[in-house]
Amino acid sequence: MILQLNHLQGKPAGVTTHEVVDALYALLEEGHLEEDQFAHLRVHLDWIQYRQNFRECVMAIKASPGRQDHSPAFELHIDVRQATPGGLRARIQQTVGELSGESQTGSEPVLLEEFRSFRESVAWEFNRLYWHRLPDWEQFTGRGYEQALPGGKSDANHPAAVADCVADFWTLLKDLETRKQLPEEIFILEIGVGMGTRSGLWLDRFRALDRGRGTQYYPRLKFLLGDYALSTLERSRPAVREHLDVCSFVVLDALNPMKNLGFLRHKILHIHLTNVYDNLPDEEIARRDGELYAVQVRAYVKAEDARRISKECHIAVADIPRTVSRLLEGGPDYLDDRHLGVAFWQEIWRVMRLEERLVNLDDLSDVVLPEGLDRSKLEELVRKAPSDVRFHLSSGALESFRNTLPLLHPRGFLQVQDIFVKSFHEYRLGFHGPGKLDGSIVNWVNGVLLREVGERAGYDVHFAPFRYREGSRTSILYTTQRE
Amino acid sequence: MTLPLLPTTVVGSYSMPGWLERLKTEYFARRISKRDLDEVHDTAVKAAIKDQEIAGIDIITDGEMRRDNMIDYFAERLPGVQIDHASKRFHYDLYESKVLGKLPMAPLGLVDDFKFLRANTDRETKYCVTGPHSLAKRIRNEHYPSEEEFAVDIARVMNPELKELAKAGAEFIQIDEPYYSGFPEDLRWGVQALNVLVEGVNAKTGVHICYGNRYGKPSWEGSYKFLLPGILNANVQQLTLEFARRGGEDLGVLHDLSARFELGVGVIDVKTQSMETPELVAERIRKALEITPAGRMFILPDCGCLHLPRDVAFAKLSAMVQGTKIVRRELRG
Repeated sequence: MILQLNHLQGKPAGVTTHEVVDALYALLEEGHLEEDQFAHLRVHLDWIQYRQNFRECVMAIKASPGRQDHSPAFELHIDVRQATPGGLRARIQQTVGELSGESQTGSEPVLLEEFRSFRESVAWEFNRLYWHRLPDWEQFTGRGYEQALPGGKSDANHPAAVADCVADFWTLLKDLETRKQLPEEIFILEIGVGMGTRSGLWLDRFRALDRGRGTQYYPRLKFLLGDYALSTLERSRPAVREHLDVCSFVVLDALNPMKNLGFLRHKILHIHLTNVYDNLPDEEIARRDGELYAVQVRAYVKAEDARRISKECHIAVADIPRTVSRLLEGGPDYLDDRHLGVAFWQEIWRVMRLEERLVNLDDLSDVVLPEGLDRSKLEELVRKAPSDVRFHLSSGALESFRNTLPLLHPRGFLQVQDIFVKSFHEYRLGFHGPGKLDGSIVNWVNGVLLREVGERAGYDVHFAPFRYREGSRTSILYTTQRE
Repeated sequence: MTLPLLPTTVVGSYSMPGWLERLKTEYFARRISKRDLDEVHDTAVKAAIKDQEIAGIDIITDGEMRRDNMIDYFAERLPGVQIDHASKRFHYDLYESKVLGKLPMAPLGLVDDFKFLRANTDRETKYCVTGPHSLAKRIRNEHYPSEEEFAVDIARVMNPELKELAKAGAEFIQIDEPYYSGFPEDLRWGVQALNVLVEGVNAKTGVHICYGNRYGKPSWEGSYKFLLPGILNANVQQLTLEFARRGGEDLGVLHDLSARFELGVGVIDVKTQSMETPELVAERIRKALEITPAGRMFILPDCGCLHLPRDVAFAKLSAMVQGTKIVRRELRG
């Protein structure tokens, strides 16, 4: 057995390593675990930072047979934050039993999909629905989505961070003007505008700086607020009401802003995103004992949760998967009563879990890589990574990044405030997602791969800590032009 | 060989295949030998020649398949330039290079490249070299009192090589000076260095000035208006500029340049994989013809096709040739 302790943050754990090992030995002695199983068992102890996530506090993952004899039979992942000593042994026994197909009749989960890459999971459909029907969700919960963030507010709106960004931008404009290279129209793009708070703060600050220094840049601004939901853009208008003369609101797909803004190729002097990449489709790769695996997921609802929802929402258990499909296609109005529709939506989301399995890969050529990520480069990175590692491919973030860079003016820069993993080694230091934030997904982003994609596109990618709030996990990615 | 009206040509580089990039990088990692790499390069050059021929290009190059990038191929050959060979991870990266003393005179070894090109095609050819201003901007100068003096001395060292190229049969030599656009304030001495480079060279010479193409994106933006009047002092016969990506806003500049130079007009945007149609190419040529006469115009892409996938590069060149044929037919009436 390999015991991997990932919870190094010193947070209070619900169970100790000692209790986990005791429980496993007891199961071995009682015959619930076979000796061979025990020998190949890999146990990960994580302190999962998101209280709401897609895992049971004890989860088993089976691996398909690899080319070598010593492939792990299965892995146990234990969330030491939420597990409790009292029920631990029973939970492990139940989880192992379910994996061996020994679950009791009537306790089978309701499956919402077949096994697939996380990128293609129904979980992302829920995420999409959340952003498109945010007002419905908020009306039902009685709180705005920013209030649902950890700490109740977004780092995007930190006045000092905004002020620094404005100062950097003004300096760039001044330099371009000195070199007689300042374009007549000064384009800026904010992707993912939220309530428009950051855009409003940014514009207030920039106008004040411009007036104070008498540079007359503000009237030349073309500030684009981009979001993939028209409803979100509408909600952002009041925050920039004093700047409507220089603002435009653009519906765009964060995965490919070029689709709508291709006419601005090489023209935008500054692009900013906050917490967009951590909310884009993703998939994971794992290496265990020298073998590569694709991580596949399958969304399900536990039997007892399904029975309860069935009763509360007057939907037969067998009809839950079909009702979920229709909810995701048509929104909560699909159910005759919108109130009931939102209740069903929120409840399914709350209890939805992702079962995981590892599917053996011959090599990385079996994986469809995001465009811009060179296969040989990824192979080199994986070769140098820790021998046992599970990492994000961050497909959506890489796609968005690659499709945003061509919009940049040659002297322009991109800034992204988000949660980044900056080396493969960091993946060994804790759980990096995905989690649930209210109705959406939050997931750490593989900064190493962003750096590689950036280099091939002609940009150096740097990460600076978000120094404006103590204890913040946010980093600021910024680009500089490669010579 | 007689060239048709509106001859088509390329700026220099052709699509760099992924497999060649990997092999070049393997060479840097000392996993394949120089001999193997040379053989790979020969094969890649032949393929680039063939693609240009099939696309119907009138004046072709060797596709610059042997070059890592437009700077290092020359920096490595310039005697007296010190290269930090550990300074790049990927073949396309730029070396850290510097000059600590006066550049001595020595051959650069470019003639063999040209001879290989000449031996493998019956078409008209063009040989391209990076100009002294661009080289002076990228090689760190730790000896000369000024960039200007450094650039002029680079030109002095390279000039005999251009003469040798002409002796070997190179009838058309293009000098690439994209850094003019990034540093318009240098134009006066940039042109002075260019003139030293081409002095006494018994071949047609041209200068290519774009807004950069590192990693397939522009390095600068601005207006070609900076070229006037300084560029009129350049002792070259041809000037090639990019117009496809930038649109026609600077076309007016051509009016003032066309009396002095043959003009190479960029009609293919090499910074996007979106495909031009022959009709679009024809339209771009017609716009340029409103300003400059057909007899002094050459048709080419905005810059090298280095960063385009091979199928896209080939299709773009084919569209360029087809579009040019449309206009030729119209001109013939």
